[in-house]
Amino acid sequence: MAPRVVVLSLASDFGCQVQITNMTDQILDVLGVIDLTYWQLATSGHLPAEYDVAIIEGAATTDEHVALLKKVRETAAAVVAIGSCANIGGVPAMAREGDLEERYATVYGGAAVAVGRIMPRPIDAVIDVDYRVPGCPIDPPEFLRVLSKVLQGLKDDTPDKTMCASCKLNETVCFFDQGQVCLGLVTRSGCAARCPSLGRPCTGCRGVAPDANLGSAREILVRYGQDPDELDRLLRIYNTSREVPV
Amino acid sequence: MFFKIIAKDEVPDLVRGIATEYEVIGPQAKGTAFVFAPLKDPADLRLDYDMTILPAKRYILPERETLMRFSVEDNEVVEAELDAPRRALFGLHPCDVNSLLLMDNVFLDGGDPDPYYKARRENTLIIGVSCMPAPTCFCDAWGTDETHRGFDIFLTDIGDSYYASISSVRGADLVDRFAKGRDITAEDTAAFQERSAAFKAAFEHEIDTSQLPVLLDAKYDSPIWQEFGEMCLACGACSTVCPTCYCFDVHDELDADQKHGERVRTWDSCQFKDFAGVAHGNFRDSRASRVRYRYYHKQWGYLSRYEKVLCVGCGRCTRACKADINPPRVVRALQTGVVDR
Amino acid sequence: MTASTLASPVQLNPYRPWPARITSIIDLTPQEKLFELRLIDDATRDAFDFEAGQFVELSLFGVGEAPISISSAPSKQGFIELCIRDSGDVTGAMHAKQCGDIVGLRGPFGRGFPFQEMKGHDVLLVAGGLGIAPLKSLINHIHDDRHEFGKVTILYGARTPSEILFRRQFEMWQHREDFDLMLTVDRPDETWEGEVGLVTKLFDKIDLDPDNTYGALCGPPVMYKYVIAEMRKKDLDVDKIYVSFERRMKCGIGKCGHCGVGHQYVCVDGPVFNYWEAMNLQEAI
Repeated sequence: MAPRVVVLSLASDFGCQVQITNMTDQILDVLGVIDLTYWQLATSGHLPAEYDVAIIEGAATTDEHVALLKKVRETAAAVVAIGSCANIGGVPAMAREGDLEERYATVYGGAAVAVGRIMPRPIDAVIDVDYRVPGCPIDPPEFLRVLSKVLQGLKDDTPDKTMCASCKLNETVCFFDQGQVCLGLVTRSGCAARCPSLGRPCTGCRGVAPDANLGSAREILVRYGQDPDELDRLLRIYNTSREVPV
Repeated sequence: MFFKIIAKDEVPDLVRGIATEYEVIGPQAKGTAFVFAPLKDPADLRLDYDMTILPAKRYILPERETLMRFSVEDNEVVEAELDAPRRALFGLHPCDVNSLLLMDNVFLDGGDPDPYYKARRENTLIIGVSCMPAPTCFCDAWGTDETHRGFDIFLTDIGDSYYASISSVRGADLVDRFAKGRDITAEDTAAFQERSAAFKAAFEHEIDTSQLPVLLDAKYDSPIWQEFGEMCLACGACSTVCPTCYCFDVHDELDADQKHGERVRTWDSCQFKDFAGVAHGNFRDSRASRVRYRYYHKQWGYLSRYEKVLCVGCGRCTRACKADINPPRVVRALQTGVVDR
Repeated sequence: MTASTLASPVQLNPYRPWPARITSIIDLTPQEKLFELRLIDDATRDAFDFEAGQFVELSLFGVGEAPISISSAPSKQGFIELCIRDSGDVTGAMHAKQCGDIVGLRGPFGRGFPFQEMKGHDVLLVAGGLGIAPLKSLINHIHDDRHEFGKVTILYGARTPSEILFRRQFEMWQHREDFDLMLTVDRPDETWEGEVGLVTKLFDKIDLDPDNTYGALCGPPVMYKYVIAEMRKKDLDVDKIYVSFERRMKCGIGKCGHCGVGHQYVCVDGPVFNYWEAMNLQEAI
């Protein structure tokens, strides 16, 4: 029996799910091996009572999200977090920087949005996550590799290392040697260092790598004539809600 | 070995001639750096380059290659085609020519030669070119500043011409057909010697490489490793740009339909945390132990088997490492017991 | 551009697994199963010659490969046995296999125990937990050539009685005259009537002729130091104590670098080393 898969959205811009629809070459093959019972973005209807795999995009920003996540965890054998928001809080979690109510007031005026709002957080702050596809947005080939792990019942093997080695494979001239700060120094690899290869320093959308050495990274900024606080400032774009190890 | 003088303005014709039979890979400018890449126009060839970001090893041991395609259901190999194009690596410095000889020890090993490496190596023509040391170069420390085998043609710059050392039938054949050339004279050889002497004199610093295997064991618990471990980013850039690092990983990737897939070999690095991990633990959990292992293996482990150190002094890791960990600095620390600042 | 084909004999490509059929599966414990495998190709099977202590790469396409020591004796022709704990992707997928399924094998790899050299001597075999897997090959090999050896002593420790591997066979052997076999567990249950405590405790109960005894040892990394200390207390020579190491052997042929220990590679220089060699390997013990 094909595994029953649901795709859910919390607070996000749906960019990751759009990436899935963009996988025109493989999407039919994928649909041949799963039973896609619910896709919030593309189907009407309700979340079924039973399913095997839950793919979740977005950060948890309301009580309702928290309740949904807990229910999902009880139901699904495998929970897959896709995108920066779900994995590390991402852009929604920038709200953690200041007073939440003030921020809502500034952005939405008095409009009644986000009832039962909580401080935005990645989903692993609420429930255990089994598989991760990081990135903003996700990379379709990586999504397929992870989905294959899920379907085969194999362990998650999201890389824990940083970006520099894969950046070297592209033979990109290092941004530090050009007087710029690049978060590839501390960011989780797995995206083939795409932004640097296109001429833009890494902004850390895949999160701080578990194996990153932030202390040394700050010293490197100093040695390259940069303000070491710049590292932390840049990390605020996506990584506000991660506890940043020193 | 025999020799020819090839005028520099004959080189484009030589390249064009070789390109009729081989895919020519040569050093070219990329931004402020140089890279080895397929040559579209002989005019792009920059034989005056100092160093490329990556070595040419990817053309013989690619960073990713399919070892075989398989069917999951039958647990069976369905295809094991090997892509070994005829390629010419045009413009390798002596360090890089030597690095391939060090890789050969591992991959052409009599017991279990690696068929993928072997096929590519045999189909690859090597044309070396002389260089002048960059500030990061230290090939002289290991004696890899000269090369006497491992190339088909080696071009030593003697001004308006190259003093070409030719050491293979196919190299001789290509020179015969695609470069006018002329025979060497005593003056040419004198110019060659002069150039070699100038090259040796141009190294800026000396490294004391004496007794490294002993020091690596005797100072195994030295605090220098802790210090390097604190600096290391564990990013693996050093091994990625290293022309002698050969470690690899093998994993399976399934097609989207989950029925077939491929067994893939990719470069790996002993600097990655999970490199020495097993089911119930990790034998090199700390960055300090991994930095130490990299040097231990290069200057002693490999040497214990092949009687050479696994480094050619190309200086790529010196440039690639943002944390400023590099062989000259590590070797100095091993000698003195102190990491210089 | 030309392309060479490697579809020809598998011997030419050391990365290509040989198909083997699972001919029997025995549940040993809740975590460990004993698989009996038979290489399908006749010529490959006839050429498959190994020493006790060597390992194979078990290959499941779509999952990957894992190094597994051979548990059966070289004297058992045509079949090999692998004792496999469910502890990762490959071993987990193997546990889901059925009798008759096809898997892949590469090998045998590495250096085994010095069986020929051990002949004519007494042998002390010490195993902890899953470490019995490679030693089982040696034990069975000695068994099949029993008259060539002097006294044979086997010490085997497991955490609990239910984790003792090959328990039925060993319980029968406890009554044999030609093998001195002692089992011990760290945590007994109500059925256990044997020894309790670490395997090192059993050394008090054995007599060895230090000039005439070879030691062989395999178990979890933490055990080596203590067992070797006991063997040294009994005056066994450092170069007559043999240890088998577990590392992350991936290629099996000394190329991929994953099993490096000190200045050597476990897959080609080991997995069996004598203690003199092991002492000279950084990060080994």
